[in-house]
Amino acid sequence: MDVLVQLLLNGIMLGSMYAIISVGLTLIFGIVRVVNFAHGEFLMIGMYATYLLATKLGWHPYVSAVPVVVLLFCVGALVQRFIIQPLLNADEHIQIFATVGLSTALVNLALMIFGADLYSVSTPSARQSVSLGGYTVLSGQIVILACALALVAGLHLFMQKTPLGRAIRATAQNRNAALLMGVRVDRIYIISFGLGAACVGLASALVMPLFPVTPTIGSYFVLTAFVVVVLGGMRSMYGAFAGAMIIGIVDSLSGYYIAPDLKEVVYFAIFILILIFKPTGLFGFGRGTE
Amino acid sequence: MKVLTRAALAAVLTLSATQAFAQVKIGALYPFSGGLALLGDESFRGLEIAIEERNAAGGLKKQKIEIVKGDAVEPNQAVGEARRLTSVDKVPVIFGTYSSSLSIAATQVAELAGVPYFELGAISDPITERGFKNVYRTNPTARDFASRMVDAIGEAIAPALGVDAKSLKVAIIHEDSLYGQTVAGYQTARAKEKGVNVVETLPYSAKSVDLTPVILRLKTAGADVVLQTSYQNDTVLFFRQMKEQGFKPKAMIGAGGGYSLRDTMLAIGAEHMEGALNVDFTQFRTNPKAAPGVDDFVKKYQAKYGTAPRSGHSLANYMGALVFLDAMEKAPDLKAASIRTAVMAVDIPVGGTATGWGAKFAESGQNGRAVPFLMQWQGGELVTVFPADAAVAKMKVGIGTN
Repeated sequence: MDVLVQLLLNGIMLGSMYAIISVGLTLIFGIVRVVNFAHGEFLMIGMYATYLLATKLGWHPYVSAVPVVVLLFCVGALVQRFIIQPLLNADEHIQIFATVGLSTALVNLALMIFGADLYSVSTPSARQSVSLGGYTVLSGQIVILACALALVAGLHLFMQKTPLGRAIRATAQNRNAALLMGVRVDRIYIISFGLGAACVGLASALVMPLFPVTPTIGSYFVLTAFVVVVLGGMRSMYGAFAGAMIIGIVDSLSGYYIAPDLKEVVYFAIFILILIFKPTGLFGFGRGTE
Repeated sequence: MKVLTRAALAAVLTLSATQAFAQVKIGALYPFSGGLALLGDESFRGLEIAIEERNAAGGLKKQKIEIVKGDAVEPNQAVGEARRLTSVDKVPVIFGTYSSSLSIAATQVAELAGVPYFELGAISDPITERGFKNVYRTNPTARDFASRMVDAIGEAIAPALGVDAKSLKVAIIHEDSLYGQTVAGYQTARAKEKGVNVVETLPYSAKSVDLTPVILRLKTAGADVVLQTSYQNDTVLFFRQMKEQGFKPKAMIGAGGGYSLRDTMLAIGAEHMEGALNVDFTQFRTNPKAAPGVDDFVKKYQAKYGTAPRSGHSLANYMGALVFLDAMEKAPDLKAASIRTAVMAVDIPVGGTATGWGAKFAESGQNGRAVPFLMQWQGGELVTVFPADAAVAKMKVGIGTN
């Protein structure tokens, strides 16, 4: 029983981390309709930026989150403008190749600049064990959970209440109709891609105290992020959040009760079953929505 | 007469000039980019220093040695680069490789081309168990690592704890790629042989972002001694989460890899890494009496690269390269058959090189006088603690300072 509660807690914490990384991917996929294979490398860029701010200027990673989010927004916007936009009318697989290529290029660029050494930021405040009725979680994990919830809520409000949010939703629903209604679709795409990247920028600053950064760190998270996004219905942020929680908990439980090296098998099996029986994902509503 | 003298003089000058500029190319195949680049580059540095030393001492057969690099990130590329080195650059020998999967692929090409391949760092046993005639290896193998780890329980840990080795509950955990599986396989076999009580064997993915389930399993099983075969990220994650979950085994032994790197210790924190044991190639805090030349090497490294060595991989490659370069110097020419005769004649006693290893090659090409040492993190330094003649510090008990 003791172990089970601890495992569930860990699963929720792990899930919140997957959630905060996946939200940006969902945004980009849902709105721009591009599968961004460089998402993990965006995370890596954010982590290196956080590391640099921490070591050169002595900033706490949570403070660095602000400039890192801005930086990643710019990176995302530039990628959309100069790499994805010219390929918008090309076949979908061409866009996939472009983001895969971008991902490889970014990994090797990081290798050139930083080498393969592993860098971490020492933030004892984020690595404090918090005892919840005898079970332990880290303060940094609680921060991630809170931020993941706030991010989803914030994005929801932004999408529902602001004119820009409405324009984004319109574009996501039907880009041609939106174009006819006077929405500058290309601009919306740039903003949306930027927003998606900014979300992962926030994630990177929050994850940095818990994981050291290497050029290949993106690959640790990105495959799971894809599973989360598909599980969640591909376009729904709430779906992504719920999907992340499911994966987190399944990951944690199967790692203990089955075998640590089989946990990926377990959640990929669930993933395939869902694709077979509910191809739109657990929370998919078919086309449209956000 | 004058003309003749001039002609003779010119001839002598040209001859000596060509002599001075004659070069012998040698291949250096390592992962210089991609995920293995850090230790690939660290390994190469050892070879580079050995070659420079040799060049400063007159080169190889009075020719200057020139390194032709081959960059192999994955096995296909290793095959491609080995082909390029043997057929386009026509190098007489290749040095490499750090990674076992790259070495397995590249040595096959070299064997077919009849080009001697000197392995200085990859530990997978099958590299020298395929009946090849042109593959030689100076470093110890995965089986040696596993045996040393299991033997350390009875020879070093149990005596330090003052208990009977059979009373200790031992757990084997490892990352689930070929590296971890191979070492863990040999560990299991050795443990059976020695009657060690293994309570858990847990493979996990090195790309895992949460190792809590592994730690909780070890906690439930009440493991006293944990043998871990891991890379760097998972080592850091494991130690961090072990502390979070309040799991404190009596001893942890790593199989080189992530355990030896300074960055790993810095990321975990010296106070939490304190007492962690590690079986690996010779590192730098080793008694120079058992490893003559180790201090000299560190000085050369520091002078050339402006930093302390990042791990013992450079030292292992340096030592191996010198052994083979000396053998090549003694061979009448650089043909594969002559090199084989020369390598088989090598006979250096244990403790005769900078790594403390000796060199005597079996028919398979494997060096039978190479053993990994047992080291321990103490006060932010990786010091050799076993065997006694190589030790610079006494082994401590426990993990972490608090």
